[in-house]
Amino acid sequence: MPARRITWSKALIALFLSLVTLTMFIPIVNLIARALSNPGQVHLLRGYELWPRGFSLINFQVVLGNPIVGRALLNSLFITIAGTVLSLLFTSIAAYVLVQKNLVGKTPIMIFLIIIMIFEPGIVQEYMVVKDIHLLDSLWAMVLYRMINVYYLIIMMRFLEDIPDSLTEAAKIDGAGHLTLYTRIVVPLSRIPLVTIGMFYAVAKWNEFFKSSIFLSSPKNTVLQVLLRQFVVEQDTTALVGASDLLKNNNIAQLDFSALKAATIVVAMVPILMLYPVILKHYTRGVMDGGVKE
Amino acid sequence: MIGNGKLRKIWTDKALYLMLLPCIAYFVIFHVWPIAGMKLAFYDYRIIGNDVYVGFKYFKELFGTPIFGQVLRNTLIISAMKMVLIFPIPILFALMLNEFANGKFRKAVQIVSYLPHFLSWVVIAGIWFEFLSPTTGAVNELLKLFGFHAQDFLTDKDSIRWVLLASEAWRSMGWDSIIFLAAIMGVSPSLYEAAHLDGANRWQIVTRIVLPHLYIPMVTIFILNVGFIMNAGLDQVLNFANSSVNSRIDIIDTYVYRMGLLNNQYSFATAANLFKSFIGLVLVLSTHFLSKRLTSKGAW
Repeated sequence: MPARRITWSKALIALFLSLVTLTMFIPIVNLIARALSNPGQVHLLRGYELWPRGFSLINFQVVLGNPIVGRALLNSLFITIAGTVLSLLFTSIAAYVLVQKNLVGKTPIMIFLIIIMIFEPGIVQEYMVVKDIHLLDSLWAMVLYRMINVYYLIIMMRFLEDIPDSLTEAAKIDGAGHLTLYTRIVVPLSRIPLVTIGMFYAVAKWNEFFKSSIFLSSPKNTVLQVLLRQFVVEQDTTALVGASDLLKNNNIAQLDFSALKAATIVVAMVPILMLYPVILKHYTRGVMDGGVKE
Repeated sequence: MIGNGKLRKIWTDKALYLMLLPCIAYFVIFHVWPIAGMKLAFYDYRIIGNDVYVGFKYFKELFGTPIFGQVLRNTLIISAMKMVLIFPIPILFALMLNEFANGKFRKAVQIVSYLPHFLSWVVIAGIWFEFLSPTTGAVNELLKLFGFHAQDFLTDKDSIRWVLLASEAWRSMGWDSIIFLAAIMGVSPSLYEAAHLDGANRWQIVTRIVLPHLYIPMVTIFILNVGFIMNAGLDQVLNFANSSVNSRIDIIDTYVYRMGLLNNQYSFATAANLFKSFIGLVLVLSTHFLSKRLTSKGAW
């Protein structure tokens, strides 16, 4: 693109974009600063400050040391990891089968899948089905729930269609079966779409709170987002610290609830922040580097 | 009728069908079964024995309930506000970002603005509660600076829908601008050069060259959004709801949840849900085919 002078309009646009971006940057960094602040000084921290007041890990110690939070964190991790692995496995297997040429029944299966993609099942019925298959209050309900996203399945199919036939034909002549073709040729060649789709599955699993709050009823099976909702939205701070801890630890009497809340939000954001560079690298590669995204 | 040749083909491909079997089982259990169960909308629920067929009784009850009218209206108003007012934001965002060549500024804006898309509505609500807090929130600090009174937007009936709108824009503007940014980058460099030789200024280049390249994604996205008008954003509403504003943001999804799972009015809630799912199906299918026809791109 030709070189341009710095003009007033461009300066205004830069200012506007900076302001918009700051409305995202400041609150998120401020939360982290609040979580890392010393409980005694945290009330001094204004909403726009980016640096902790004093420095202390006590908020994280209290939050992570709370058995309810620790348990919820492990549950969330289990659902996210097991869910993403199974989702990727069955999405890619289904995509592999459905891109086979001349597969009998392919069209009716695709129509079936598209109707399923569009027609949302009733929440009451979903609850009853989970109950009928005895997965109510089991983490597996959330692992299996929305296991295959038909939209991602179609994206995966588009990608697999582009794998040249010559690659699979040669293996077929050598007597390779479909399972071998899938594991030895298709999976290694699909690393990029698998990682990309896996990120989206993982983020969805990690962030899910509504269905988790319905399907998982007992405290030992609660997940982080549901717990976080209790603290942040319903302002129920008793569960945050736990009554037993309050008696055990005098320090807690001096803790600042806003800082504890911030620490919990940060704990819920950390896995997302860890996945985020991978998402940027894979999904937005073209747009970020200024190349054409296909 | 399946011919002999087809049967033989199925037999040779039996490994493929076996591989597909767990996937089909998943769809049957988690989708077909609950969808079939929605016939409950036409039945009286019985704990013991068979449900009793009652025809459209629950639909008549539903459409006779004033609350349902309000809930439907809320759903359509919130969706329509998002559809019309949020729609141009990612486009403008992409156009503005395009004014900056690849470099630190552009990358920084992208990295920060794509992030909120990946945060859960619980986390976003936590951030926005701070943001809008009447005592310490940044928005009210600003209002006070200009001599206005601090306001609690989250418990104000007249402002809560705007809070939904603003937080949705905040969450999605960066991420949703990607598709437009990609379309802008598809503009051939020779077009810019030609425009430059003709002495076009920046504004002319944007309106005559860049913008026309965005018409097709614009039309596609707008049409497809219409298909989802029955979804006003359950996760978002659940997190911003409170007793002072519920009458303005109670949507079909929250109503179904409340009536079905909290009040145990299974058949009634299912009737509301079926109404929503059915309209949704018709809308998504028709907008898909309309978009496919106009822009050759559909929802899938």
